[in-house]
Amino acid sequence: MPKLPERKVGIIACSGEELAEGTVARLATLKVLHDLRRGRTVTICLPLFLAGGEGDRAFARFHPTITVDGCDLRCAARGTEMYSGKPTASLVVSDLLAEAGLPAPAGRRCLNDAGERAVAVTADRLAQLVDQVLEPNDVPGDTTADRSLALSDEVPVGTCSCGSGIPVTRVAIDGRTVDVLAMALIFRQFCESGGRVDDPASADRLMATVKIYNEVPPVAEASYREAILREYKEFCAREGVR
Amino acid sequence: MNAHEQRIVVVPCSGIGKTFGSVSREAAYDVCDELRPGATRLLALSKLVLGEEEARERVRNGRTVTIDGCKLMCAAKLVAQSGGTIVREVAVLDVYRQHRDLKPDGIADLNDAGKQLARVIAEEVVKTIDDLHGSSSAGEASHA
Repeated sequence: MPKLPERKVGIIACSGEELAEGTVARLATLKVLHDLRRGRTVTICLPLFLAGGEGDRAFARFHPTITVDGCDLRCAARGTEMYSGKPTASLVVSDLLAEAGLPAPAGRRCLNDAGERAVAVTADRLAQLVDQVLEPNDVPGDTTADRSLALSDEVPVGTCSCGSGIPVTRVAIDGRTVDVLAMALIFRQFCESGGRVDDPASADRLMATVKIYNEVPPVAEASYREAILREYKEFCAREGVR
Repeated sequence: MNAHEQRIVVVPCSGIGKTFGSVSREAAYDVCDELRPGATRLLALSKLVLGEEEARERVRNGRTVTIDGCKLMCAAKLVAQSGGTIVREVAVLDVYRQHRDLKPDGIADLNDAGKQLARVIAEEVVKTIDDLHGSSSAGEASHA
């Protein structure tokens, strides 16, 4: 059965190379990704929102996303909102350190002791935010399941391996073009599980899965359903499914 | 054009998920902090993502070196989109293909081979900068 892209908490750092606080943002993000909340979090390079494809820009619409910025310019938070989706939460390293009464870090390339402390404090705060976003019954730090960063077998070729490349299909709904996330994967899974759209209960199940990964406005639900079922029939025709 | 305006803008790719992104950042620091500090200025790519006007103006009015960690070439693309003039476009992977003994590893902590690869890239960038600046830059670098 095809594996659907797994929703994790996305973390996007500004990585601001000019300032030590940017280095803190980047290293704190990596500490959460690789250590504190390994397997529960994913990241993407911020510039991919402009340099990458639609699958990259879908990042914050797919993953509940926390941004980490070094300074008040808030490039990560504002860039994410402009090009991908509104972040669920945002952190600014300089604000966090001021609140904690900690000194400003120094050494953009090689952090001083204050910088190392700032990484630890920022990473801890990030991990707390990740826990708040995740379901309450999730176990922080659980790495027993197969939770690798790979999203699926259908990740578009050429995208970065850091968590981008969510498959997106453009669908006409009510005269508008709408990006539907993970649609082909959902269809394939539905098909392989014996789903049939001529059975209303089965079609409800398909729509429920689509709604896990996509925001379907209640007022447009009927139009979405009509479009998704139409697309599914076309998918079956292409795949030779009867 | 005054000395500040003549500084070459160096833009690494800001890659966070791969070791080659770390190499690009390390190379940029090599150039801007050690090899040619007076002749260059580091620019965070995130500012160009945001479209920050001062950063855009800096690349529009100056000459830029981009250093990218993967084939998506985020730094080069965003500098071009911002109206900048790229005098040297470095792809870390291309340099690595010529120096396969320097296999980088690690993201937060780059291994020694990765640091050496970054140095190779930095020295190539320095050649470009010196060509552009002539003997005055070389003289300045001698005490950097």
